Amino acid sequence: MSTAVKAVKKRRQREPEFDKVSWKKDIKRNWVLYIIFIPAAVYFIVFHYLPMFGIIMAFEDFKVSKGFFGSEWVGFKNFMELFSGETFSLVMRNTIAMAVLNLTIGFICPIVLALILSETKVVKFRRVASVFSYIPYFVAAMVVAQLAKEFLAKDGAITLLLSFLGLEKQNWLANSNIPVFWIINLCIDIWVGAGFGSKIYVASISTVSGDLHEAAAIDGAGRWRRLVSITLPGILPIIVMMFTLKIGLVFVTGFDKILLMYMPTTYETADVLSTYTYRMAFGGTPNYGLSAASGLFQSVVGTILLFISNWLNKKATNQSLF
Amino acid sequence: MANNFKKQKEGMVENPTVSGVIADILIIVFLVIVMFVCFIPLWHVLMASISDGKSLLAHEGLLLKPIGGITLDGYRLAFSDSSIIMGYVNTIIYVVGATLVGLLINTTAGYVLSRQSKMKKLFTLFITFTMLFGGGLIPTYMVIRSIGMVGTRWALIIPGSTNAFFVIMMMNAFRSVPESTVEAARIDGAGHLRVVFRVMLPQCKSMTTVVILNSVVLQWNSWFNASIYIPNKRELWPLQLWIRQLVSDNEGLLKNANPDYSRYLIQYAVIIAASVPILLAMPFFQKKLETGTMAGAVKG
Repeated sequence: MSTAVKAVKKRRQREPEFDKVSWKKDIKRNWVLYIIFIPAAVYFIVFHYLPMFGIIMAFEDFKVSKGFFGSEWVGFKNFMELFSGETFSLVMRNTIAMAVLNLTIGFICPIVLALILSETKVVKFRRVASVFSYIPYFVAAMVVAQLAKEFLAKDGAITLLLSFLGLEKQNWLANSNIPVFWIINLCIDIWVGAGFGSKIYVASISTVSGDLHEAAAIDGAGRWRRLVSITLPGILPIIVMMFTLKIGLVFVTGFDKILLMYMPTTYETADVLSTYTYRMAFGGTPNYGLSAASGLFQSVVGTILLFISNWLNKKATNQSLF
Repeated sequence: MANNFKKQKEGMVENPTVSGVIADILIIVFLVIVMFVCFIPLWHVLMASISDGKSLLAHEGLLLKPIGGITLDGYRLAFSDSSIIMGYVNTIIYVVGATLVGLLINTTAGYVLSRQSKMKKLFTLFITFTMLFGGGLIPTYMVIRSIGMVGTRWALIIPGSTNAFFVIMMMNAFRSVPESTVEAARIDGAGHLRVVFRVMLPQCKSMTTVVILNSVVLQWNSWFNASIYIPNKRELWPLQLWIRQLVSDNEGLLKNANPDYSRYLIQYAVIIAASVPILLAMPFFQKKLETGTMAGAVKG
């Protein structure tokens, strides 16, 4: 990596300083470049920048028939309605609860899996096991949701398994008691992502020097000791980096699965910010202004989290993501 | 990397101890459980799809083998239904279309960002800013609606065709091409377009494939955009939406006094039909996708 960085730096020194070149000369040399950029510019302006101006909807009593400019301006009324509503506090509670579960247990699982994979001595078996663990990652969210319905239904396999542990047979997805949906969501996230997520740790474990292991083994360190004192510190930078990355993305992931699995009876525990935004816009009685307000709130929190994650990452690993 | 690892383990000679052996056994047991858990849900669906509908309904819990006599009725019904064939065709149209549009934008934008010019900094900011902030669901919907894409195939091909991450992955790939090659081509009289397609793309095959594969998996598995942009146009639905429709149809079906039980199998048949192409292709591109994850995580 560092050699690549050096090469890039060296190359940049050879290149003329384009900041100092006159516009006329730059355009003469690069006009083709600027034309090539047009499709991308159009794409990003239309589908990413125009919607950003669309956030004025959050300050309007938006009516589709009247459009962005014709709708009545209501200031912060939508936000007042959003923040004072009873649903909002429930939604925030659910969002935060699921995010925290995902950032703790959901984050540790791929690391544990990677450590166990790397402790397997039979190389062939290790490879087969890791390929199997990737399978869920490629299963569509729609299929995952149907699998969840199938397995958690009253006659489903998981329900049956749980009934041996003394839990009543029921449709678990319809259970609105507090941690049930959160745990279901967590387990599904782990099922989908742990195998594929472990890959980056496995790769990083394999770069930990074998000499260190050997030296420690000669000094009498057992396997467990070496795992804790050599392997884990060796991959700590990657762990920190992945953790900060995950903080930044925690608000945007996994929302379509919830959308497919929740139902009116479980809104109280399953509704998160993004599903709420969706329901306000595409539900039975659309309230576009409220939905736009909730969407804007979500975007702003997401952006703040990204900056926090970047700042943490810079502190911890001296690497900036953007 | 894997070879390194192997050598390192082989190089170390350890005397087997009792606790060591127990640990090895526990590890293997644990991994077998992991493999079982990852694989069995799809196996269950596969077995359900070839079971007899009536006994399947009465059955409780996991299916390890087909129940009540093997039948392909589910598949026969699914593929005699023109709407499901259409769903398959639509999915392919969306995957190919969005990937091609995405590829055009990713390569051109990635190339421009990898070259030195006065606008480079501004363009990079222009692209990366969309990673940091977005307008949200409703404003995006309203924009796409106002340009008349809602209710057409275009809504599923163009808006989701790319994103800032893909552009940046391509930019990094182009940056890694040695400047001397590009200069040589330029001196020989090659224009920008020729440089992109004849000189750079062949050298960045690996990263280009990563971006394409990511896009294919993403598009194949996507359903959300279809559900908001073409909710009522069944003839345009991708396969994923049909899965949802068939499952809810079946819930109604079971309320009938004397239902046609083999219709119950369709939902399983379609889930298998929708998952198998990606899963069969998985071993081939799994390695590529992994490199992509790494490159995406450590971007410059």
